[in-house]
Amino acid sequence: MNLLNAISLRMSRHRRTVGWAQRNGLFFALVFLILFFSVFSEYFLTWPNIQVILLTVSVIGLMAVPGAMLILAGYVDLSVGSVAALASIVFGQVVAAAHLPWELGFALGLAAGLAWGLFSGIIISYLGLSAIVVTLGGLAGARGIAELIGRGITLSGFGSAFDAIGGSSFLDLPVPVWILAAAFLIGGLVWYVMPYGRHLTAIGADANAARSLGINTRRIPLILYTASGGAAAVGGLIMTSQLDASTLTIGAGMELSVLTAILVGGVSFVGGRGSLFGVAVGVLFIGVLQNGLILMRINPFISDTAIGAALVFAAALDVLYRRLDRIPVTDPDTRVGAEAPAQPEPQLSSMSQPRG
Amino acid sequence: MSTTNGARILEARNISKSFEAVRALRDVSLELHAGEVIGLVGDNGAGKSTLVKILSGTIRPDSGQLVVDGAERNFDSANHARKAGIETVFQDLSLIYSLDITQNVFLNRELFRPGFLGKLLWTDNRRMRNEVVAGFSKLGLTLPQPETKVAALSGGQRQAVAIARAVQWGSHIVLLDEPNAALGVKQTEIVLSFIERLKQHQVGVIFISHNMEYVFRVSDRIIVLRLGRKVFDGAKTEVTQRELVSHITGAR
Repeated sequence: MNLLNAISLRMSRHRRTVGWAQRNGLFFALVFLILFFSVFSEYFLTWPNIQVILLTVSVIGLMAVPGAMLILAGYVDLSVGSVAALASIVFGQVVAAAHLPWELGFALGLAAGLAWGLFSGIIISYLGLSAIVVTLGGLAGARGIAELIGRGITLSGFGSAFDAIGGSSFLDLPVPVWILAAAFLIGGLVWYVMPYGRHLTAIGADANAARSLGINTRRIPLILYTASGGAAAVGGLIMTSQLDASTLTIGAGMELSVLTAILVGGVSFVGGRGSLFGVAVGVLFIGVLQNGLILMRINPFISDTAIGAALVFAAALDVLYRRLDRIPVTDPDTRVGAEAPAQPEPQLSSMSQPRG
Repeated sequence: MSTTNGARILEARNISKSFEAVRALRDVSLELHAGEVIGLVGDNGAGKSTLVKILSGTIRPDSGQLVVDGAERNFDSANHARKAGIETVFQDLSLIYSLDITQNVFLNRELFRPGFLGKLLWTDNRRMRNEVVAGFSKLGLTLPQPETKVAALSGGQRQAVAIARAVQWGSHIVLLDEPNAALGVKQTEIVLSFIERLKQHQVGVIFISHNMEYVFRVSDRIIVLRLGRKVFDGAKTEVTQRELVSHITGAR
């Protein structure tokens, strides 16, 4: 019995280490990366450069919040980059071609993104079509419609009030970074404070079990797709403001950066496990890696390769964590009838023999 | 162990059910009392699963009545039966492995903070944890920390969590569909001793199993179905294991 207790104690200690590494490993990888780059470049850890890092990841990070929730629930949105372009083109048409106020353009661009997300969500969660196929269609389709609306022409000159969204700062932080922070704050409330984080986990891990417990396995992804479309549209409008241009190339390939940040952040690609804290660290990790490699004057192709390598490493960790999750808690922890007072202890050690 | 001192909590009267030409159940009646464990046995195709599905509200009988706590009921769905206090623990258990014990017990029935924060769906994790600890200890079940993920639990512990969840949610009638089908001896022991424990909490249990040893171990009463008919219903002291096998197979 002492031996069993010792083993169980060692296992639980081990388990704690494992759980700690799982929760904080990426965070310390990020800290290591920051230390590494600050040694190689004295410019790296300066406030202007930190602002640059945060600004470059702000749009990706904004899209990663609903994106991570979708992946947690076993869905995916590959259309975010194209929906960003669609919102940008809609905005350009309303403001520069039709000469309406920029606020209306912003609202209509956002509405286009929300509508696109709602439409994809209905098809996926109520008609049961594959999320990858439908949003891959959206990846091609949204940019195609944007091209149709804008006829491929780049429009610009939206006025200083609109350009301030992407180009001005508040309390020494660029406005897009504040939008990013707001997205993570709302996401964190939904994920950790409200019960939806665990509901999404349940849907992603075992949709049938979630349904049998009364979780709405259709409406929740529908809302998330709508939110993802909205976040993509806001991202597209931020980029439009930064460039002061409504153009078709906005957001091209961005879905891959968003997915990379989410997966590096430890959200399981098959759904059912992940944390928004990890996604935040994953977003920063991508930004720091890209920025540091640029400062070290590394060829940008190698920078892309490094991000690809980080993604494959994250996928390998995902497999490892799933195994570590299953390290069983040893049995001496489980007793039946040990703590109920004033009740006779059932005989645990002997099977009562049937008569006959 | 006396069998009929508890109140009659579930009664099925003359239940019949056919699937096309197959008569799965013919005029089956049974009574379950508080604090009683019924072992439901029979060969494959004898109608055990059909009977459990009718009791759990998953399918509706062609004829016959269900009476729960003295009131006649017609269940439209498993949720309906659950509201009446009948919980079925199927083999898949409906547990989410990547969530911890507390999160599983309170999944989609989360407790919220009092007042304004609660209206914003602000979950009260400490209260849920405390209720899990209190509920399990009341049932006499000691498990690893409530923060342990279900993935790290053994098969028997998972069964116990699934059953405890049902009882904690006020179900006083628990249907167990082959709870030990995939479990080893030691894991089965956890489940069986927990079932015995439930009797003291006035929970009625219907326990389906193919294993005669386990059925004799935990049941107060044994019901045998054969080809859709009830062929034996009596206290376990009235029957030997060999006689029971004869009832199941129809050999005389």
